[in-house]
Order: sequence, then C-alpha cells, then structure tokens
Amino acid sequence: MTTPVVALVGRPNSGKSSLFNALTGAHAKVGNFPGVTVEVLEAELKAPGSEPLRCVDLPGVYTVEGEVDAESDEGHARRFLDELHRSGSPALIAQVVDSTQLALGLQLTVELRRRGLPLVLIATQHDALIAQGFELDADALSQALGVPVIATSVRDAALVERIQKVLVDALQLKATPPSTAIDVEATVRQVLRPREDAKTAFARARARSERLDAVLLHPVVGPVCFLGLMTALFAAVFFVAEPITALIDAANQALGARIEAALGPGLLSSLLVDGVLGGAGTVLAFLPQIVTLTVALELIDASGYLARGTFLVDRLLRVAGLGGRSFVPLLSAHACAVPAISSARIIRDPGQRLRTILVLPLMTCSARLPTYGLLISTFFASQSVWLRGGLFVALYFAGLGFGLVASLALGRTVEKTARPRPLVLEMPPYRLPRASVVGRVGLRTASRFVRDVGSVIVIAALVLWALLTVPGPMKGSPPPGASPRAVAMHNSLAASVGRALEPITRPAGFDWRLNVGLIGSFGARELMVGTLGVIFGIEDAADDAAPLAERLREARRADGTAAYSGATALALMAFFIIACQCMSTLAAVRRETRTWRWPAFLLVTTYAAAWLLAVAVYQASSALLS
Amino acid sequence: MTRDGTTAATVTSLDTLLPGASATVKALHLPPREATWLRAVGLREGTVVAVLRRAPFSGPLHLRLGERSELALARELATHVEVAP
Repeated sequence: MTTPVVALVGRPNSGKSSLFNALTGAHAKVGNFPGVTVEVLEAELKAPGSEPLRCVDLPGVYTVEGEVDAESDEGHARRFLDELHRSGSPALIAQVVDSTQLALGLQLTVELRRRGLPLVLIATQHDALIAQGFELDADALSQALGVPVIATSVRDAALVERIQKVLVDALQLKATPPSTAIDVEATVRQVLRPREDAKTAFARARARSERLDAVLLHPVVGPVCFLGLMTALFAAVFFVAEPITALIDAANQALGARIEAALGPGLLSSLLVDGVLGGAGTVLAFLPQIVTLTVALELIDASGYLARGTFLVDRLLRVAGLGGRSFVPLLSAHACAVPAISSARIIRDPGQRLRTILVLPLMTCSARLPTYGLLISTFFASQSVWLRGGLFVALYFAGLGFGLVASLALGRTVEKTARPRPLVLEMPPYRLPRASVVGRVGLRTASRFVRDVGSVIVIAALVLWALLTVPGPMKGSPPPGASPRAVAMHNSLAASVGRALEPITRPAGFDWRLNVGLIGSFGARELMVGTLGVIFGIEDAADDAAPLAERLREARRADGTAAYSGATALALMAFFIIACQCMSTLAAVRRETRTWRWPAFLLVTTYAAAWLLAVAVYQASSALLS
Repeated sequence: MTRDGTTAATVTSLDTLLPGASATVKALHLPPREATWLRAVGLREGTVVAVLRRAPFSGPLHLRLGERSELALARELATHVEVAP
C-alpha cells in the first residue's frame, strides 16, 4: 500500500514553511517528483496512532487555475496536484491560509475545492489576526466551506498534535463533497468576528506598517535605505565570509602538507593534494558566502522588505529587461557568481530567473581582480596613476555593461527568457522572521550545494589536475633550473593543448603560455596568476606578483621579439571580462536550471564573444600603440 | 477610459489616480492570462482600491485592496484596469 500524501498548498507568505517545519521536524529532504523541477520539500509526518504520512511542501502559489506558465511555481504545483489526482493513491490537500488575508486565501480554496481531493484548511497567523482586533470562527468557516478548519499560530506548539490528528482523520475521506458556490466576501464577513478592541488594534497595526512604508518607500529616503542595506549585504558576503574561507583554506593546506609529508612527492600525493583536496577546498570555500547570502536574503524576504525593495528598483531594472528581484543576485555576483546564481531563486518569473542567471557570470567577480591587477601593474606601470585607476574602474564596470547588453540580446534571441512579465507583487505585512526557519534554510542550502554543485566541481578539478600534470604528446622546453612543478607543466597535456590552440589565439596575442594560464584558471579565475607563476618559474606568484611581472615583460618569442605588450594585456583583460572562465559557475548554473543545456550555452557563447572581443582589442590597440 | 469616452467623467483607468485616491474596480481590460492573475492576487471587479503611492519614473503603483491586502502593480497593467469612484 502506498503511503498517504499530505500536500501543503498555500499562497506565498502564508506561513506554510513554518508550519511544515513545525509538523515534520528537521528532517526534510528535496522530494523527487516526475516533471517537477522546482524544489518540493518532503518529510515523513509521524502522527500518534497512525501510519507515517508523506508531507509535501509545494511552492507558494496564488492560483491553480487559469493560464499559468508551466515553468512557474504555479505550473509546478498544478502538475503535482494533477499527478496526485491521477495516481489515485490516498492523498489530502492541506491548504495553509494566512488568517489576516482570509479573503485572498479563500479564492484559492474555491479553486482547490473544484479539484475534488479531500481538503483541510489550516488558518495560520491567528495571533496576528487577534493583534489586528479580529477573531476567526473556525467552526463557522468549516460549516460554510464544508471542510475541516483549524485556526493556529505556528508559535503554538500544542496545536501540532491537533493538526496531525485532523489530517489523519481527513485522510479517511475519499473526497470532499462537490463544492457548491462559495461566496468568499460573505463568508469572510460571517467568520471574522471583531473583538472589543477591534478598531484601535487594527488601526495601530496598520499605522505601524504605514509609518515604516513612509520611510522605506519614500522617494528619496527609501532608495538611500535600500542602497545602505544592499551595501551591508554585499559587505557581509564579501567580508564576513572571508575569514571563515581563510580558515577552511588554512586547514586544507595543513592537511595537504601532512599528506605530502606522509607520501613524499610524486604523482599520487599530487593527485590527492592538488586534485582531490584542491577541488574539495574550492567547494568548501564557497560555503560561507552562500550561507551568508541565503540567510540574509531569507531574513529580508521573511521580514516583508524584499517586496518593498523590488517596488523601489523594479522600474530601473526593466530598462535592462530584468525585474526588481534581479537586483540582489546582480549585486552579489560582484563578489562571486556562484552564490548569486543560487540566490536567483527569489525571482518568481521563470523567464526572468533564467535571464538573470545567464547574465550573472558577466559581472566582475572578486576572482577576476588579481589578474586585472597583475596585467595593469605589469604593462601599464609607466602610465599615470589616473590612467591605471581609470582602466581598473572601466574593467570593473565593463562587466555590468556587457551584462545589460547580454540581457537585452537574450530577450530578443532566446525565447525562454523573453518578455519579462509586468510587476504584480503582493506587499506582505512586516513580520519578524523566525530563527528556526531561517537557520534551516541556510543549512539546507549548504548541504545541497555540497552535494549537487560540489560533486561537479571536484570532478572538474580532477580533470584540470590531469591536464596540468599528465605529460602530453608535445615535449616542452622548460627554462634551465626550473622546478619539478614547472617542468611538469611545460610537458603537460595542457601545454600541448595550449600549443595546439596557438593558431586560434594568436590573433588575440595569446601564446601557449597564456593559453595554459587560461586552462588552469578554468578551475577558478584567481588561479590565473599562480598558474602563470608556475609556467614562468615563480613560486608563490599569487602572494607577490612583482617577479612574475618582470618575467612577463622579459618574455620573448622564438624570434627574440617581446612576447607580450600592453595590447596583449588589454586583449587578455577583455577576454577575462566576458569568458565564463569558471567551472564552479557552470556547475551552479546546471544545478539551478537542472540541465546541461544552459551551462553549454554559456560556455560556447561567452568564449566565442570573448575571443572576438580579444582579437578586436588586440588588433586595434597594436595598431594604435605601435 | 471607456472606448466611446462618454462616461469619461466617472470612469477612468487606475493609473490616473493620485496617491490618496480610492475607487472601485469596474473591469479588467486585459488578456485572460493577466486578468486571471490579477484576480488571484485580489484585484477583481468590485474591489475597492486605494493608491498609496506611485514609484517615480512611471514605476509601479502601491495599492491597498479592500481592507487588508496590499499590492505593487506595474503601471502598464494599471492602465488597463477600469475604475470608478
């Protein structure tokens, strides 16, 4: 016999996730349901005196009728309910209704009643309703609707057992009797009883919300607050996460040193230290940023501010064919695209979410900066501080500029990302977020990232290790006295590939050594400086780039002319702006879009565009600078 | 606005209301998909809407629907929502 399913359905912000947590405890996992690609959480619900049930938390929906986008949360919820109905297995819909938004919730009830599955109504936020000066008559509502109704506050632990019991009882019903027409407005008037202090309490609650809105949505003060909050968010992602990342890094290096000491130098210890540990270190290094950003966003969303921020910046981002909710991902991508891509989940419109995800890798992430710094200080050292500074700033904002262009181009060419829907957004009441819910969201994000993205990153890291370590068909000519690492790299598969690519990259001014640098930095862009360091026989180039800069300036072609110039540097920086030179970003895109199609699309289009731009920049600036 | 313009004095579109004004929704002149969506979020024929504020540069409207829910609505959609005082 199949386990009965209880599906929690409700509008966004109805208190569904809190209730799901309260009912099922901490052991939720992402359910695996045919055709559903958004995350649907599932957990076992153990009710006293009954078989365990499967409790499923569907994404928040406004409607399960009408024409809805198949890829939207509504589309997924509807498909899930259709599937549930078709399977004929015992099932129950538990609709979660925010009692302070009863009329809106009952619209959804009317739709759910038409589906014929047994239905139970759980009215949450009853304490908030009382604070507004009203009381919900659950019995009257139950009579009017013909389904069981429970009025609860999630903060009330004793009610969990009662809800479980009602759910178990309701599962015995084969179906809820067919719905007669329900007059929503009349029902609401009938079941909401004003309390003694109704008027003043309600007025006080509304006045508080209005006072907050008057500041936070003020035409001048509002945007200032918004920018302040976003700066704090950015700083948190950037700086709060950094010491933890450094700690993980140090632990990783200490472990690597012990392995090397135990095994001695050689292919095996290199595989374990540079390949496996290096890959795992890359994965772990992302975690503090991702958890910080996720938790911060959950706080902003649950408090009711996210909707306000969206209201403020929506118009601005429409210019770029994006919407207000793209703001946070775009901003955090300037720290790192990987957490930004996972934060794009706050965008409800599937087309806009995909478009944002595809644009995020173009933003100037912090990992690009060491390469920019090295190239500017190597080839423009004789220029004025203003020119160097200006170049740096231009590089920084070039990412944003190309992102806007790419967004508009995507809207015209890629059908799935076309036509951002006009803004229709509920402005939820301000609320205090619940620590347990926020904490669980953070933990869940971390574990899922390690599992889904981490595995891809480690595999890619192993492939890169092999490329940079295993000898290739073409024998290199390492400089005399080069370290074993440098010799290995000169003879590596990557060096052979780099040489084979020279005919293609020569118009951009890249020789095989820069090509190897590009291959090595596919693991992470910040590895560019270190990889070039090894090629040119400088250890620890990432810590002190001056010796490497010297070698780059002195590097010669076979004919004795300088291998690199300012034009090469400009072309390489142009390439770096656009190319999606980061396996972790591609892994994150795959994770969020659940297909390899979009990472492949990104890889092909950004490399093609980056090559074209690099060639154009190299040719133009060689002509101008010579 | 109605198409013939004869009742323009009493019937107008939601985007023309200034902050502080309120009116009753008379009709949604939108494709079924958008209309269904607006009704689902509470903007239906008969709903009393109050304009709380308008975001600058033709940005969205901040509306109060009935007594207790609030909505941000793109101005381009508001032009197709017919209201009367």
